[in-house]
Order: sequence, then C-alpha cells, then structure tokens
Amino acid sequence: MQVMLEKRKSRQSMSSSQREPQEMTAEHLGQLLAEVADTRSRRAFSELFRHFAPRLQSFATRQFGNEQTAMDLVQETMTNVWHKAHLFSPEKGSPTTWIFTIARNIRFDILRKNKHRQNDVSAEDLWPVLSEETSDSDEEFALDTKILMQEIGEYYLQLPDAQRIVVEQIYIEGKSQQEVSDALGIPLGTVKSRTRLALQKLRELISE
Amino acid sequence: MNKIKFHPSEELLVGYASGDLNPALTVVVGTHIDMCPRCRSVAEDIQNHMATRELHQSAPLAEPDLNSMLEHIMASESPIVRSAKVHEQVSLEGKVFKVPRSLGRHVDRLGPWSHMPGGLWRAPLELDADSRMNLIYMQENASLPEHTHRGSEATLVLNGVFNDEHDEYRDGDFIFLDEHKHHSPQTTDEDCLTLAYLDAPLQFTSGLARLLNPFSSLFFR
Repeated sequence: MQVMLEKRKSRQSMSSSQREPQEMTAEHLGQLLAEVADTRSRRAFSELFRHFAPRLQSFATRQFGNEQTAMDLVQETMTNVWHKAHLFSPEKGSPTTWIFTIARNIRFDILRKNKHRQNDVSAEDLWPVLSEETSDSDEEFALDTKILMQEIGEYYLQLPDAQRIVVEQIYIEGKSQQEVSDALGIPLGTVKSRTRLALQKLRELISE
Repeated sequence: MNKIKFHPSEELLVGYASGDLNPALTVVVGTHIDMCPRCRSVAEDIQNHMATRELHQSAPLAEPDLNSMLEHIMASESPIVRSAKVHEQVSLEGKVFKVPRSLGRHVDRLGPWSHMPGGLWRAPLELDADSRMNLIYMQENASLPEHTHRGSEATLVLNGVFNDEHDEYRDGDFIFLDEHKHHSPQTTDEDCLTLAYLDAPLQFTSGLARLLNPFSSLFFR
C-alpha cells in the first residue's frame, strides 16, 4: 500500500500535465489564494500554478492558435495571480472564475493590440478585475472609511504606533493596502490584520 | 421601483462575459447589468459556466518550461494597475443624473453636449476608434424623426421614459434594433436620458427629415 502511494506520488511530480490526484475544490483553491495573499507562500502559488498554467495554456492555444501568444497569456495571467491574490474574494465567485476573468481581460487586450491607440479603452476599464477600485467598493471597507473620516478625530493618536501608521497611510493618505504593504515592506496580511485591529480599537474608543 | 421589461438577449450576455463584444456595446450591456439584478445573475451564471468549460482541459506543458516560468513569475515586479476614477453622475443643462458604475468609469471620456433640433441633446462617448456611442437626452415632448439603421442600434434607458410605435421604455430597459426595424422615439410629459450605441449612421425615412441624411453621420457619430 505504502509503496503504491509512493509510486503514484513520484509519477505525479514527474509529469504535471497528467490528471491530478484529487479534484481541486473551489475551497482548496481559495485557501491557496489566501495563503499567497497573506504570506506570499511560494508553495501555495506553485500548487496553483501547476493546476492553472496547463489549463490556461490549453484555453489560450484554442483562442490564438499560436504557441508564443498562448504562453504570453499564461505568464501574464499567473503573474497577476501571484501579485494580486489579495483582490480575490470568495463572495464574488470561485477561484476558477476569477482567474478566467483575468485571462479573458488579457485576451481582450492582446486581440486589440494591433490596432491599439494610446487613448483606447482597456479591458480593465470595462471589466475591472484587478483595479483597486474593485476592492474599495468592498462594503465593509467603504463603510469604515465614511465612519472614520467623520469620527476618527484624534482617537487614532491613541493607537499603537504600528497600527497608527497603517491607518494614516490608508485613510489619510489614501493608499491601498497593497501600496502600504510595499511602502512599509511588510506582508499584505500584516497590513490587513493591523487595519482590522486598529478599526476595532477605534470603534471601542469612539463608542466609549 | 418599476420593473425592467426589456433585456439584452442571452447571445449578448454571452458576448459580454466572453469579451467578444466591442467596447461600446460592452458598456451598454454592462450598464444594463448594473441596473438589472436578473441579468446580473444570468451573466454570473454564464461566466461561471464559461470559466469551468474553458479551463477544464489541460495542455501538456513541458516540465522545464513550467519551472522556468514559475521562477520567473515569483521573481517579477508587481504589475501596475492604474485605478480608474468612477463618476457617479453626469450633468446637463443644470440637471444631474446618477449613472451606474459601468458607465461612470467612462464619464471622463464624455464629449461636449450639443443641442439638436426637436428638443434633443447628445454627447459623444468615444472608447476607441471603431465603436462609438452617445448619451442622448430628450426633453419633454421631444421626438426623433422616424429612422432606420444601416447597422444595429442598442439603446438603454438610464433615466426617464420614452416611447415609440412599438412600446414604452423606462429606467433599465434595453432595446436592440437591427437594420430592418423602423422606429420613431419620442417623449411626452417626462424627459429621458439614454445611452445609445449605433454601429452605422442613422437613415431617416420620413418626410423632411430625409433631407438630413447626408448629415446624419454628423448627428450620430
């Protein structure tokens, strides 16, 4: 039994194009995306990549009939998954649908590239999947901005330094969570949890 | 709240989800979807279905290619995605109209309003070189001469009500006419703001308005 399992495993790693051992559930894929977003997990991304890259390649080859263009689409799509995983939210749909919409947008732009002019609209303007605009319409976030701007007053000065800096950059300087993460050199997951903690603390202070 | 009576065909919703409509038609259909919960849910179903179907099959990627692409991606810089400014309204002649997000993202591209005979105003919205559309405002008791199209016309009511010889159209209604359909839109005691996509210039078919034909491209392009 043990031997057979080993055998199957090594086969798997030899050729990723073969059938995967178990059906990847949306839940599992979503978890991998969350790990990439929160901890920049290379292991989680590799697993996502091995699942999606061959599928995207098959899709893109059918669309373009050109190997090189197909590979460009795979690379560009997965690059966005690696860097923008924090924009995925399970409430808006499955991971497969999210990644498909990224690929759909890239396909749209590639097909129009030949006759493209400077001022032409891009796919992202038509179906925002990766723009920060999308995440700002996150209701919890939008609501918090409103409350904060009116009521935050001086309360935020009472926050611990680490949380105060994050709150200042997001709510006063108007940066996105990703930009704060880049600016401070801390993982996005940390920015998120500090924001959450700070908002909690502020709510307590304001309602006191 | 009135109920939306006229919706885009399933074919248009599929084209919207797959990215095969041109930008202008994408915006008209997308704006309808913003206004119409029913079509939003149909479009989501279509998109999920399409994603599952299109990403079902794996291609035999060579292992070395996979590994080098994977390494390359994890060492890459984060792509810059500029965030678009979303306007919530457009204004004309002192009136302010709220617009859905799918249209609000493009309000920066809206050209100047021009007044046309018959109580009409229009402002061009240019998304690219090939596909164009207009915001058209009809004041109370306005009418557009009867016309037919060399191409097809998609009209979305953003606010108000207008009617033609076929029916009456209100907020959110989406009307798609092919080149053989004649119609003469008009308003009565309410004004109306619409978003109109046209893939070829209008041809006026009735009376004096026919004289306008050489200029119809100036009117609607």
